[in-house]
Amino acid sequence: MSNRTERDNNPNNKNDDCFVNHNKEVYNKEIKPRVRMDKGVDLSVELAGIKLKNPVMTASGTFSFGEAYTDFFPLESLGAIVVKGVTLEPRAGNSTPRLGETPAGLLNSIGLENPGVEAVLKKYLPPLGGYNLPVIVNIAGNTIEEYGEVAVRLSASPVVKGLEVNISCPNVREGGMAFGSHPEMAAKVVRMVKENTDLPVIVKLSPNVTDIGEMAVAVEDAGADVLSLINTLLGMAIDIHKRKPVLGNIMGGLSGPAVKPIGVRMVWQVAEKVQIPIIGMGGIMTAADALEYIMAGATAVAVGTGQFVNPYCCVEIVKGLEEYCFKYGVERISDLKGAAQRGAK
Amino acid sequence: MKFHVPDASVVRQELTGENIYTLTINSPEIAHEAQPGQFAHLRYGNSADPLLRRPLSINDVEREKGWVVFSYQVVGKGTQLLSELKAGDMLDVIGPLGHGFETDFCGKKVGLIGGGLGIAPLIFLGRKLALQNQVQAFWGARSRELLPRLAMGENFTTGEDVDFPFSSTVVTEDGSSGRKGLVTKILLEQLAADAQGTQATQGAQDFPERFDLLFACGPKPMLVAVAQLAREYNIPLQVSLESVMACGVGACLGCTIKGKKKGEDRKTQFKVCQDGPVFWAEEVLWGE
Repeated sequence: MSNRTERDNNPNNKNDDCFVNHNKEVYNKEIKPRVRMDKGVDLSVELAGIKLKNPVMTASGTFSFGEAYTDFFPLESLGAIVVKGVTLEPRAGNSTPRLGETPAGLLNSIGLENPGVEAVLKKYLPPLGGYNLPVIVNIAGNTIEEYGEVAVRLSASPVVKGLEVNISCPNVREGGMAFGSHPEMAAKVVRMVKENTDLPVIVKLSPNVTDIGEMAVAVEDAGADVLSLINTLLGMAIDIHKRKPVLGNIMGGLSGPAVKPIGVRMVWQVAEKVQIPIIGMGGIMTAADALEYIMAGATAVAVGTGQFVNPYCCVEIVKGLEEYCFKYGVERISDLKGAAQRGAK
Repeated sequence: MKFHVPDASVVRQELTGENIYTLTINSPEIAHEAQPGQFAHLRYGNSADPLLRRPLSINDVEREKGWVVFSYQVVGKGTQLLSELKAGDMLDVIGPLGHGFETDFCGKKVGLIGGGLGIAPLIFLGRKLALQNQVQAFWGARSRELLPRLAMGENFTTGEDVDFPFSSTVVTEDGSSGRKGLVTKILLEQLAADAQGTQATQGAQDFPERFDLLFACGPKPMLVAVAQLAREYNIPLQVSLESVMACGVGACLGCTIKGKKKGEDRKTQFKVCQDGPVFWAEEVLWGE
């Protein structure tokens, strides 16, 4: 394992040929378009000035700082990466067990374990500067002031192209979801971050609210440039043999295919109410899942749990989106945004 | 170096104990690369339930044939489905993963302490260590049915007796095989006798001197007990830990444990999947 760090941090080595991938079907399949596509498919999208070559991103907290997956595919095949949630001080995270599997779902209570903003700036972000790929950093804090402080420090990094404000983590006592379940509090956090950065500000919303549309409008009014939704759904599981909760933290966030219909519904509802672009996420495993989110109104999509199951998930989704567009004669992926909204009328 | 093999075929699947199966797959890349203590992350089928891959400890490899061997107990839906795979079925495998046992030793007397399914990976380790060291093994299980057959010196794939290049003492809690009791109790007897320069355990006659190193794999209470003995008798110990994990490659932080790097006072966090699953016992903060 000693050569891992060196290899992972070297962008020139990202397509390591000693890494065997037999899944040739995914990469070499010949596609015959239904209609003639002279220019090919345009998969690029834009999020408040952040240009993505395709709409597939990683969901924060599921992709470390990129280093875990460089052995599997070139990071630059992604549209953008969103790295792990960063706080002002290092955080040890929650007690174990932190994971529990449920039917088509995964409960987690990681609790924003991260090395703190200084270590992230010094150690984890610089290697990402070597890639031609927008890097977005997810930020969290115990207080509104902490969000501002983290935003200032990260904005000084040339690597960071956007901030994603986490007001929706269900696994921390302070901050996180506590800010994301009250429209006024959420708006305050967003204003604080906006005042402390010139970068595009993405706000990640919690599904654990009565009216997601109200939250979305509140943060849009406060200056949010982009919305991410959904974060995980608060849930729990009980080990009937031990007669105690599965998670050390008792409750956790549910992700995976089980939550996809809720995510799609919320993107749909929010898209009807706001003008700013939406990054749709929640249970995306395939291009078909990603298309549902896009057709509900998302400009881009993010993959989280799917990545754990299939390390090539994102790459396969990019390929699948292209195939779909060829098949149906769609020139630009952005033409599909909100297609089902129009279809329902 | 890790490999992703989406089409590793099942060579054979056998019931080798009470709900215990031994699975052999064909994956020359992983067989060639794997070291004792490493694991592989398995997915079978495209179903969303069970959703996650299953991490299984690599129990043995046959490098010439390109085979990798795992043992597991059916405990839930995932392992139930795994046990239904037949020869020729395909698996999606990522491996070898994690940091295995450190084996760069020569001329040492080493002890292996395996509990239940934790025995199998230690046989892989024992074979390697025995090339340059004196190895003595202690295999423990609740009963004969829960003792991997390999531990009894039986090669279920060929039906022949296995001649281990080391001596082993079998211990069962109900006495259905070998000595009766807890493997940690038998280990303690041996350590105490070694300290006094006497012989306590059968099979130990050849090397009456003290152990230089210990290696353990098994249930956590056993590891905790062995770690305490190793500390009392001042013998370096490597342990292989288990944890629930999602990604297996260091991304999800689901398998984090608290620990202390060797020679450092500062507490740190380890990822079992990447920094482990094998650690020096002194690096693990057992109670936290």
